[in-house]
Order: sequence, then C-alpha cells, then structure tokens
Amino acid sequence: MASISMRPCGDFRTRYADDTTIFPDRAGRNWVIVGLALAAAAPLFLDAYWLELLIRIGYYGIAALGLNILVGFTGQISIGHAVFFGFGAFASGYLSREWAVPVWAAIPLAGAWTAAVGLIFGLPAARIKGLYLAIATLAAQFILEDFFARAEWFTGGVAGSMAAPFEVAGFALDTPERFFYLVLGYVVVLYLAATNIMRTRDGRALVAVRDHYLSAEIMGVNLTKYRVMSFGLSSFYAGIGGALYGHYLGFVSVEAFTILLSIQFLAMVIIGGLGSIMGTLMGTAFMVLLPEAMDGIARGIEGSPIYEALNLQVGLNFLKEMAIGAAIILFLIFEPDGLAHRWRQIKAYWKLYPFSY
Amino acid sequence: MDTFLLQLLLNGLIIGALYGVVAMSFVLIYKASQVVNFAQGEFLLIGAWVCWALLAQWQLPFYAAFFFTLIFMMAFGILLQVVVLRPLIGEPIISVIMVTIGLSIFFQALLKWIFGVSAQPFPPIFASATINVFGLPVQTVYIMSLAVSLAIMGAFAWFFKYSRMGLAMRATASNQQAAQSLGISIRQVFAMAWAISAMVSAVAGVVVGVVNGVSSALSVFGIKVFPAVILGGLDSIVGAILGGLIIGVLENLAHYFDTKWLHFGNMIGIAPFYVLIVILMIKPYGLFGTKNIERV
Amino acid sequence: MKTTLLLSATCALALTSGLAAAQDKGVPIGHIADLTGATASIGKAYAEGVADALKYVNSTGGTKLAHETVDYAYDAPRAVATYRRWMSSLKPVAIQGWGTADTEALVDTVTKDQVPYFSASYSGALTDPNKKGPKSTKAAPYNFFYGPSYSDACRALAQWSAEDWKKKGGQGKPKWVHMGANHPYPNAPKVACSEYAQELGFDVAEPITYSMGPGDFTAQCLTLKELGVNYAYVANIAGSTTALLNACQTVGAKVQFVANVWGYDENVMKAAGQAADGVVVAVRTGSIWTDNNPGMETVRKISAMSDPSGKTYRQLSYITGICSAAYMAEAVDWAAKNGGITGPNIKQAMYQTANWVPKGLEGVCLPSTWTPDDHRGLLRVMIYQGKVTGPTDAKDVSTLMSDGTMSLNKVAEIELPRRAEWIGY
Repeated sequence: MASISMRPCGDFRTRYADDTTIFPDRAGRNWVIVGLALAAAAPLFLDAYWLELLIRIGYYGIAALGLNILVGFTGQISIGHAVFFGFGAFASGYLSREWAVPVWAAIPLAGAWTAAVGLIFGLPAARIKGLYLAIATLAAQFILEDFFARAEWFTGGVAGSMAAPFEVAGFALDTPERFFYLVLGYVVVLYLAATNIMRTRDGRALVAVRDHYLSAEIMGVNLTKYRVMSFGLSSFYAGIGGALYGHYLGFVSVEAFTILLSIQFLAMVIIGGLGSIMGTLMGTAFMVLLPEAMDGIARGIEGSPIYEALNLQVGLNFLKEMAIGAAIILFLIFEPDGLAHRWRQIKAYWKLYPFSY
Repeated sequence: MDTFLLQLLLNGLIIGALYGVVAMSFVLIYKASQVVNFAQGEFLLIGAWVCWALLAQWQLPFYAAFFFTLIFMMAFGILLQVVVLRPLIGEPIISVIMVTIGLSIFFQALLKWIFGVSAQPFPPIFASATINVFGLPVQTVYIMSLAVSLAIMGAFAWFFKYSRMGLAMRATASNQQAAQSLGISIRQVFAMAWAISAMVSAVAGVVVGVVNGVSSALSVFGIKVFPAVILGGLDSIVGAILGGLIIGVLENLAHYFDTKWLHFGNMIGIAPFYVLIVILMIKPYGLFGTKNIERV
Repeated sequence: MKTTLLLSATCALALTSGLAAAQDKGVPIGHIADLTGATASIGKAYAEGVADALKYVNSTGGTKLAHETVDYAYDAPRAVATYRRWMSSLKPVAIQGWGTADTEALVDTVTKDQVPYFSASYSGALTDPNKKGPKSTKAAPYNFFYGPSYSDACRALAQWSAEDWKKKGGQGKPKWVHMGANHPYPNAPKVACSEYAQELGFDVAEPITYSMGPGDFTAQCLTLKELGVNYAYVANIAGSTTALLNACQTVGAKVQFVANVWGYDENVMKAAGQAADGVVVAVRTGSIWTDNNPGMETVRKISAMSDPSGKTYRQLSYITGICSAAYMAEAVDWAAKNGGITGPNIKQAMYQTANWVPKGLEGVCLPSTWTPDDHRGLLRVMIYQGKVTGPTDAKDVSTLMSDGTMSLNKVAEIELPRRAEWIGY
C-alpha cells in the first residue's frame, strides 16, 4: 500500500486503481517528470566531476534499493551486500571478456547470475532470523571475499580484471556524459519496477513477512518462498548495480568489495529510510556526497592553521571514515526513520500550514 | 605426535584464551542489554592505545598505566552506553547493530588518526621475555594473559553467583520487566555491563599489544569473536570461553592442515568463518545457548 | 539535505577554482600516494620524498612542475578512478604512482593515453616495453621505475644467500622460501625468483602466506621452523616485518631473513630491536641517510624543504622517492628543450642518457640506463645488513643510528647479468 498521503478535502478515491497508484496526486507525478527532465538535461550544464558523482549515486542507488527490499521491506538483515555487488561486477566483466558477450547483454545477464547466487544464499538464510542472519551474512561476506581473491579464472585473483567499456554498434559509452544516460535509464526502470513490485501481491506478502511473520504464515503466506525470493531480488539489483560500476570504471578488483562497502550500503538504506523507495535514493546521495563535501571543505581551508593543526593532509581520509560512522550513529539516535520520514514531515508541515500540529 | 602440531595446539590454546576473554565481554553485554556489540574489537584497541600512550609518552610505570587504563575504559563504557545506546532502547535490532557498527568505524578511524597507522611496540615490561613450557618458548606475557584470563573467569563466576550486582544482572538478562518490578535499576545494570565489558576487553587488548605491538590489527578480534560466541551460544558465558578456546585451536589446526597438505595459504584466517556457517546451519544456538523453539 | 547540497556546491566551486590556479603554476604532474592505507608506513616517507624533491626542483630553476597529490589508501580502484578523473581535469603529462595493483591495472590505459608512469612498484611485469620476452605478460612502453625490479632484487638476494651458505660452510642443499601476502605486490617476484633460486641450487619450499599488516605470526614462524628453512625471502612491507621478526625470535626459528626493498628499514630495526639483528635487505640507492657524499648533501637540502631543522631521520623509502622524482624532472626538462612537454617526448627523454645520474645526486641515485626495448633501468643491487647491538626502545631512530646501536652496513654489491629471458618477468 502507498504511504500516508495528504489528500485535500473532497478529493476522494473513486476506483480501486486509485488505491494502488504509485503517484497519489498529480503534483507528485509532475514533480517527478520535471526531475527526470532536469536529469536528462544534466550533461549539458554539469561538468564531468558532477556527472561522475551522479553516476556513482546511480549505480550505488540501484544496489541500495536491492538492500532496501531485503532489509526494509522483508525485514531481514544482510551485512554481506557488497559481495553481491562485487559478484555482479565480476560476472559482467567475465562475460564480456571471456565469452565476448556484448556489454548491453552482459549487464542483465550478470544481474540474473547474481540473483541465482543470491537465491542459493537465501535458501539457508530463510531458516535463520534476526541476529543470527546478520552474523551469517557477515561470514558470507568474508568467505566470498576470499573466494574472489582466489578464483583467478573468474576475477583475476588479487590483481583484479578489466571490464570492457559499453559499446553499442561501435558507439562507445565511455565518457561520463554518455554513461550517465545509461545509468539514468537503468535507475528509472529499476526504481519503477521496485515500486511496482511493492504494490503487487508478492510485495504485500514481503511486507507481511516483515511486520508479523507468524500472522503471515497463518494467513497462508509461504515464509520460505518469500524470504528466498527477497534474497534473489535484492541480489539481482546488486548485480546490476555492480555490473554498471564495473563497466564504468573498467577495472574490477576484490579490494573494492570490503565489509566497509557493505556497511555503507546499510547506512544508505537506514539513513534514507527503511522501507521507502525514494528514501533509498536520498540516502545514497547523502552517503556519496558526504565525503565529497568534506574533500571540498578541506581543500577550501588548505593552508590555514586549522588544516595544519588537524594534520588534514593525512587525516582527511580518516575524517571521512569517521564521518560515515558518525553519520550512522547520529541518524540512528536523532532520526531513526531516515531522511524519507524527515521529508514527509517537511511536506506535511507546508501542506498543513498553519495547522502543522 | 610431532612437535609442530603440539606447538600449534599450544599456540591455539593461548590465543583461544584471549578469544575467550573477548567473547565473554561480548556475551556479557548481550546478556545484560540485548545489544550486539560490533565494536568489541575497538574496545581492545582503545585499551591498548591508551595504555601505550600512558607508558610510552607519559612514562608511567606499567602498573600505574594499567590501572589508569582500566579506569578510563570503565568511564568510556559507561559514557558510551549512556550517550549512544540508551536512546536506542526498544528500537529494532537492525538499528542497534548499525549503531555499534557505526561506533566501530568511527573509533577505528579516530585511533588511526591520533596514533598513526604503524604498529607501535610496547616498552618491555618483564625481565625475561620468554619462558619455556614443555620445550616450547612462550612469551611471558602470554603466560600472564592465561593467568589473567583464568582470574577474570573466576571473578566473573564469583560476581554472577554471589554478588548483589551480579544477581541483578542475571535477573535483568532473564526478564527485564520482572527485574524492574523488583526494584533493580535497569540503567545501572546496563551501564555496569558495558563498563565491565570495556575493562575486560582492554585487558585483552593490552596483552595482545604487549606481544605484537599496538596497531589497528587488534580490531580483528572483534570479528573473530563472532564464531566464538555462536559456537558457544550467544547467551552463555561458559559457552563463550569454550567457544573462544575451540576457535583458537581450530585456527591453528587449519594452519597445520594447510601447511602439510592443502597449501591454500590463508586457512588460518578464513577457517573460523566456514565453521561459523556450518554451526549456524546445524546448531544455531551453539553448544550452550538456550534453544528458542519455533515451528515457523 | 538542501544545506548539504548548497554546501557541496560552494565547495565544488572552491575546488574547481583551486584546480585552475594550480595549472598556472606549472606543468601538471599527477602524484598518487598511500598516506593512510595498508602501505602507509613506507608510503608516507616515499610521498614526502617525491613532494620535497619536486619542490626543490621548482626552487632551483628548470621547468616548473605543479603536482597534485591524491591519497588513495592503497585501494586500487580508487587509484584507477583518480586517473580517470585526472584525464578530464588535471591532464597530467606524467604521473608518479605507487602500488603494484593499480600500476599494473593502468598499464594499458597509460599506453593508450601516452602518459609516462613512474611507479614505486618495481614489478617485473612492467619492464618489457614491447612484450618481447618469453615470459612477459604485457607490453608496458610507458612504465618506468628507478631501481632494480622486485624479481631482480630477489635474484640478487638469492645469489647473496647462495654465497653466504658456501661461506658458512653449509652442507647439502639450503632451503629457500618465499613469504608474503596474497597480493600483486608480494606475488610479483614469487615465481621468477623461486626459479632462479632453484637454478642456484636451493631447495625451494612452498610459499608461506602472512598478512601485510601487523598481526600474530606465531603459526607461520612455527612452519618456518618445521620446514627447516635456511633463507626466507620477506616479500611484504616493513609494517608486518616487525611482527614477523618478533614472533620468529620468540618461537626460536633460526632463519636468515632476506627482505625486499620495502621490507626492512631503520624503523623496523627500532621497533623490533634485537630481533631485527642480522636481517639482510636489498637497497636501491647508493647511500643511506647516515652517509656523507655530494649526493647526500643535495638530499639533505631537499629534506630541508619540509624539515628546515634537519633533525628528522629520513628512511630508505624517502631517498628512493627523491630519485624517482629527480629522473622524471630531468626528463621533463629535456622534453621542454626538445620538442615540447608531451608524454611521448618525456618517454624519449628517458632513453637519452646511458648510465644516467640526476645532477647533484651522485652517489645516491645509481647510474641507470633505459632503452626503447628494455625498461630495466638498474641491474645493480646493493645488499645491506642490519646490525642491532643494544635495546632500541628508549631513544629515537636518529640517535640510535648515530651512536651506533643500530647500523645498516653494505655487505655486497651484486650486478646481475642482463639476461634476455628475464625481461618482463
């Protein structure tokens, strides 16, 4: 079901279709269209640095959406999301390199392959709950990382492997401007798909599993099937995100898929808001822009006494990591429902002004 | 049995005792306040760095430095619980896990910033660095750690069985509401649990620091603690100790097999996680944990 | 969220304006360094050497070089991302790189973009410009490094070990083992060196894995003892060598450690104390900080760029960084006078002088020769041995080196034959 929306008085829902619509009011839908138009025109007025950031928000956002489906909508925990992201990157690189699969086909295939691996992991995971699932996924993170480091045929071992650039009929999408459109397309399609899934029977079943699994079981929702499906779906998204990352950077190495990345994905989802699709994108944007903002501030105060006192040339990297940790802690203490909730509050304040209590 | 295997097993027991101590602190927090502490490794790290700073930079004698480290860790544990964990009472478990993960990242980076990335050795503390046990030279400090670990385990056993506060903790762990209705201050119990856990972890951290030098590598204890507590059972202190010992021995056994036959190279690092997965599949509540019977 | 956007927008403006200013200051050079990551213990000193040398070059005339340092924390994908970013913003004419993983990943890209890459990675795979060698894996026409490759330095250490075994009167076949982490940098010389060791008559044991960061290596030292190893090649960096030496001393493993160019330096001697006595290391430069010759005078002037008091002890990696930057600076100078500062011209500049020593660094940077078919600049390896005679915890490195408690003494100078089958391997 759609979240609570502020409908003006007298604007009633007259058909069942109105109940399940993605955009409950025209204004919301129009804003999304405006946003998409702006995004499509972005390469015209943004330079490569900003486009790179937007591309990064794009592929991380897709993977984070997968994690949100798993954690926010189905209520399971996964601290191993980075290895599925990595698996998608390696799979797509492997397919395009060893099997000469054209990249436009390799990316969805890599997503499907990652989904299959996710289903395999989901099968035992369906039996474990809560904390134990978190620890099992933690162990899976380390085991798969070790596998990536050793499976030279697949990943190139510790040296990493190259992924071919995206080429369609000789037209190569290897600059930020061109790749941006590819990522934008994938983001739009996959986000719409996720929103769609959530309003179908299966999506409602996932939410039921999260809210009260005993009642769901009693009502006839097959818990194992939906838990496994949730893992598969989330791995599919992670795989696509990883494949896009791999083909953008051109180089995939196991060092990129550490536990810190898994934690960053979890942070994106929690800071954005568990169970909120728009929140995922906001959380991802926050996590991607936070280190960049710190970089910018550090460059701005370069040479000043504060810079020297804090030894920022060396300390900046540490400060960025601390900022990730601090952001997680502060958001969980002060805004546990995430940015999406805060956004809803802001919207409600203005819609109901001056009666915002 | 060849000496190589014997020596590896002895090494495993010594390291396992340390894992057991850290696992005990972890289980203490979990039992008392239902919080999974992903930042346990950082407690070791903070304790080791603080002790090192007091020794190497302020030139205090070892016993004074150790004592002040314990005081600092107690205050730190209480502060952490009050500031960060108390607002999260009642939140879903994913939030609590994420907060401790956030703390772990924050402190790792903070300590690397303050103390640098290189390993710093402890100034020598004992007159002779090694003692011979069954023909295998063992670091004196490891013997001390074994003795300290046993002392801590004994102290824990006495504390929980006979002291008022220990009983209060057990009551809180068993049923929070009933304990509250009997007049036990849950806040004090939580704070005390975190303080004790921080102090005990600091002891383990100092021990490891004296042997190998202090560096961010100590955080790995916080990851190794998971196989140990899962093996032993999340809410059993005895289980945690046994789990730690078994994991320590298992690692070294894996290294033995790796050296002799497998030649993978890193079984010593990854074997505990394979064991963890297997345990979660077949016996998720570990050797001594309370079984949660569910048909769904 | 809006505030964050506004803030980051303002900062981005500041950032771009800052970058524009940099380009007015001189020829753009990229500098990828590890200041906070797994190899920071040696990376920081090397990066300081490079930065100070470039500052010195700017202050003494010659083409002005403006370098931008990026700390990539030994995370290869971050280095690749930085390179991509530079290609559209900074557009460097040459790059001072660092690690093996990222350098090897960028080989094809820098060849395509024609950007000379001076790495601190001495992997043998980077030495063949045209992939002509029988065991070469890639063509690296734009990769240069000062010093012997890891494979060549390891071969020199193996040669020293063979001679040492004969001198000690050892009976039978000595045992050799490669110890390192499973990572491109320690793995680089593994196969090549073991092959040469076998040729020299060693019995080569299975490689032992241990991490690049500090840890507890008792189990690995027990393995050393069990295998009866005589000479152990240490392929990791100095950060983990300390822990290894301590653990092996405790366990009682009597092994002669021979360390790669990054694996042992004055800081290890101080940190490990007595356990570090007798370890042999391959050194790339002709002198160390405690030596006195005209080249070291220049080095001290360069060190004064960031440390006017002259009190900081500069370890082996610092001096190597100076040499790497000096060769690049002279190459850029030559290119400026002979057709313009472009990538291909800088590459040509590297081939102009045989037995090349940068001006002012005689005795420090050994004479190196690069040719269009062979990028093995230096085949002469200095073998030094560390000596520790007393406790090292109380004083700092400078005092310990000057009062003789610690010393690094040259025990051999090995000139390897320029074998054709060793190129790129």
